[in-house]
Amino acid sequence: MARRMRFTKHRRPIFSSFLFKLAIVAAVLWLISIPVSALDFTDGAASGTVLTIIAATSTQDLAFGSIFQGVPKLIGYNNDAASSIFTITGEASAGINLQLILPEYVSLSGGSDRMTIIFSSTDAAVDTTTATPSTVSASDGWINQNPYNLPASAVIGSAGTTRIYLGGKIVPSIDQTPGAYSGDIVLSVSYNGT
Amino acid sequence: MFEFCTRAIRKSGALHILVIAALFILLPVVKVAAGVLVAPTVVFLSETNRTGRITLRNPSDVPQEVNVYFSFGLPISDSLGNVYVMLQDSVTNDPKSALGWVKAFPRTVILPPGENQTVRLVIKPPDDLPDGEYWARIVVRSQDARTAVPEPDEAAGISTQLNMVIQTAIMLKYRTGELISNLELTSAGAKLHDNIVQVLLDLVSRGNVSYMGILHCRVLDKKDIEIGRGKINLAVYRNLRRRMDIPITAENHNPPYRVEVRITSEGRTDVPPPDMIAGNEIIYTLSLE
Repeated sequence: MARRMRFTKHRRPIFSSFLFKLAIVAAVLWLISIPVSALDFTDGAASGTVLTIIAATSTQDLAFGSIFQGVPKLIGYNNDAASSIFTITGEASAGINLQLILPEYVSLSGGSDRMTIIFSSTDAAVDTTTATPSTVSASDGWINQNPYNLPASAVIGSAGTTRIYLGGKIVPSIDQTPGAYSGDIVLSVSYNGT
Repeated sequence: MFEFCTRAIRKSGALHILVIAALFILLPVVKVAAGVLVAPTVVFLSETNRTGRITLRNPSDVPQEVNVYFSFGLPISDSLGNVYVMLQDSVTNDPKSALGWVKAFPRTVILPPGENQTVRLVIKPPDDLPDGEYWARIVVRSQDARTAVPEPDEAAGISTQLNMVIQTAIMLKYRTGELISNLELTSAGAKLHDNIVQVLLDLVSRGNVSYMGILHCRVLDKKDIEIGRGKINLAVYRNLRRRMDIPITAENHNPPYRVEVRITSEGRTDVPPPDMIAGNEIIYTLSLE
């Protein structure tokens, strides 16, 4: 019993110390902070290989804000607050295929009226670094790109991330029906080396 | 007071509960903002394994509406060596297309935040299929399931909502019979422009499966000192012109330069080893123009 007590006394300070608990919490937090895209979450597919999946997300929508009849509104891709930002994560330096399918107009929910939206041949940028829409330069990737024909040599950046910045122009007519207009912007992504 | 609380927690054995609670509280802070994730990157089916699955995950904090459908699209290249994947939504007559044989269950799902969804795949190929590999693309289309369009600030105002839709296209390969992976390098060239070595390779798949491998290039000077290198994953289904741009440091090197090209099916980390069909290795040396 005495030996047992000594053993218990010896262990308790180690496993119940504040520092030890802190280390456990830190380790778990570090584990859950690993990007999900770097994990193969296919349950049961016990291959043992770490598969780097490609993942795309819209991290900021193209926002035109308040629009007035007959007054076109332009949002540049370099607008930090209002341009559309897509983030693609995957295997660093892997070749990717990016395709945007863009609307020609947005419409009222009932379809009773529609409003023209224009994407010009320089309305997009592809950033393979960690720049922002307003700071991205040619050395960070590709600037002033045609969103209908994004660079074919696009890759996932060395940090495992690539971003697309997209601007556009909304053109309300002089008698545009007031209301809430909507449309879809589709980004299609795939690896081109699989 | 703090000591009293600590002692009480220790005595009640509630420390574990507190740690778990802390994790849940902190989880949103470290959560990766993302749309729907799709795994794996390639799905392999065969005559002995005609069912497969993909897993979808919604790590975002909003529900996602997900649709799964099939398309056909191989990597193709232009004269400059740029590679594209053009998805064909309509029916294709390609003899290697598996489009129309494969079905997904379920095809449409609303994925709540943080949830996973397994999508089962079943393939029913025609009988007497020649040996080889047949292809289709699994396209996972996702968007925010909330459809509310913001109302204008003023009664007579106009507002817009652009819904961002993400399509992730992954390859599906159906294999049957004896499988051969073989690649031929039909022509190659390299030139130096503004401290970038541009390597252009014409490749033809001679096997009955797609050649999956890695293209390695090293730029060496007269004294065999490496002044640049590059590596890309390669998938050749039929013909492919592939370009690699390799930046070099122009200081203290001795021309003429040359490029060592090596293509191997070894070293792919994105495909499980049992699914890799080992192919030939190509080693070639190019002089810089």
